[in-house]
Amino acid sequence: MKKFNFSSLLAKADWLPILGVTVLSIIILSFIAPAFLTRTNLFVMLRILSVTAIVAMAQMIVIGLGQMNLAVGAIGGLVAILFGGMMEVYGISVPLAALIGLLIGIACGFINGALIAFTGINGFIVTLATMSIYTGLNYGITESIPFYHMPEQLIAWYDSYLGPIPNIVFIPLVTATLVALFLFRHPWGRYILAVGGNPAAAELSGISVRKTTLVAHTVSGTLGALAGVVSVARLGTAEPTIGAVWLLPSFAAPVIGGAVLAGGHVSVVGTMIAVVMILLLENGLFIARTNPYYMDFFLGLLILAAVVFNRWRTIKSEKKEAAVVIGEKV
Amino acid sequence: MSEATTTGPPQAAKFDYVAFIIRAANVGGLAIIILLLSTIIASLAPGFLSPFNLFALTRNLAIDTVIGFAMMVVLACGHFNLAVGSIGVSAIMATGYLLEGLGLPIPVSILGGLATGAFMGWMNGMLVVKTGIHSFVITLATASLFFGLMLILTKAEAFRNLPAAFNVLGKQRFWGPYSSMLFVTGFVAAALLILFKYSVIGRQILASGANPLAAEMSGAPVKRAIIVAHTLSGLLAGVAGVMVTARLAAALPSVGADWLLPSFLAPLLGGTLLIGGYVSVIGTLLGAILVTILQNGLVLLKVGSFWVQFYMGITLLIAVGLDRWRSYYAQRIGLT
Repeated sequence: MKKFNFSSLLAKADWLPILGVTVLSIIILSFIAPAFLTRTNLFVMLRILSVTAIVAMAQMIVIGLGQMNLAVGAIGGLVAILFGGMMEVYGISVPLAALIGLLIGIACGFINGALIAFTGINGFIVTLATMSIYTGLNYGITESIPFYHMPEQLIAWYDSYLGPIPNIVFIPLVTATLVALFLFRHPWGRYILAVGGNPAAAELSGISVRKTTLVAHTVSGTLGALAGVVSVARLGTAEPTIGAVWLLPSFAAPVIGGAVLAGGHVSVVGTMIAVVMILLLENGLFIARTNPYYMDFFLGLLILAAVVFNRWRTIKSEKKEAAVVIGEKV
Repeated sequence: MSEATTTGPPQAAKFDYVAFIIRAANVGGLAIIILLLSTIIASLAPGFLSPFNLFALTRNLAIDTVIGFAMMVVLACGHFNLAVGSIGVSAIMATGYLLEGLGLPIPVSILGGLATGAFMGWMNGMLVVKTGIHSFVITLATASLFFGLMLILTKAEAFRNLPAAFNVLGKQRFWGPYSSMLFVTGFVAAALLILFKYSVIGRQILASGANPLAAEMSGAPVKRAIIVAHTLSGLLAGVAGVMVTARLAAALPSVGADWLLPSFLAPLLGGTLLIGGYVSVIGTLLGAILVTILQNGLVLLKVGSFWVQFYMGITLLIAVGLDRWRSYYAQRIGLT
């Protein structure tokens, strides 16, 4: 019993190594680059973080279910241009437009979930198709022309403070906290992880795999939509290209953060640290004035290194557990 | 998928026959859809059957099919290769560099491009096998890695002064309007058909996809099969890359970014399973034909290129949905 607690404690803190690397990178960066810790640079980073963190959360929930949502970026892009269009063309107020935008995201996610749950077609294929459909709608509606005139109110809200904390810090933190509470405290969140861990066992314990799939994809769609809305606020324009490059970071962050692609195990803290890590890499390369081409290369390297490390640690701990089991003559 | 509750030897013989019909129904269904679609497009847009359009269409078809094959060979063992586009563009730039930068003869340069692709695919395979990490994650990372490496080495500059003879490959026609690049595709398709039907390693790749554990237990070298599948995928991405270079008469670093969707569309429309164990070379070819005709038709019908992606997604959903329904129906009337 005691040993079980110890290993579960270790398993829970599996984000410690990447936290160490991240803190180390921050220290090194702040020493070698005076520009790093300036207010302007931190704000630039936080602005990017406010979107990427939500995107990563959107993907992480579906990974927890053991599926993938290739349409996260497409949903974000579609919601972004509809959100911008509603405000610019129809003059709908910001909160109402944001609400309708989120509802559209819910609908998109629900469609994904329903198609997977009720046709039995693999989630990868379904979200590949809906990615194409939502992106197609986006480009069909906008003909790839952005909505430029966003209300001052929206940009002002994005740049405002809630007490001493700027909204751009507040948005990803609140989202991550809510996602963590949902996944680890709410029954539906637990169902998602249970289904991801073992669908057959979950079904036998009375959890409806269909409903859980629906819930997970709907939540993912909602978060994708939220990321789209926040993107519009960040950029000050509703661009059709929003979401086009979310695929890589959306998978990179949860996977670096220790999520298992087969489902059942995700880490909210790990994912958030991984988002910061990716951001630091980007920012560090930018400050070092390297060519922007290096970003792709090093991001690929970072993902590889992180997953190989995670894998190595898992194997090591499994070996240790096996040794313990043999030692106790079970 | 097809588990027949066989009670005696005669049943086993019958099973093959039924499975053949089911698979033929899939291919036949696709062929009927393609015929219907081309008839509709040809009657609505007279330009569809013009020699110029047929040439452009067959040229795109030749390339898209090979891109589909590049994904199909890894799907055969239940793996993904998200790096198809990155490998393709790396092969393109390698070919361009060998031709223009080093001034090597065309065959050597093409071989160099193909070797680049095969090597990158081999690296994917090695990483997947040695680490045991899901190929989705590995190839997601290497897609970024290869693309970044290509950009660093080429500084994102295109090779535009390729020898004129190279472009001839892209311009050649046969039987009037058809692109000669279809011969390359035909050759690849025939080779893959033989590989998956008659060769030991091809069967081992399929066995590793159907059930890796069972394959391992029956003595099939699963790891080697997986590495071969990934290497082959890289090689085919390289073939597609060289074909694109011949078509454009230039090596551009921007090619390949939009290969992800077509690479999955063709094999999935053609009935290849995501979980591995079954591929259809003819199906992939038909899938690519469907996609190319649809794409071409939408542009000819002036639907607007912006809506093309939308209809591609709908087509994928409908095709896979129909296939799903067909297999349910077949099960219900007791065909499987």
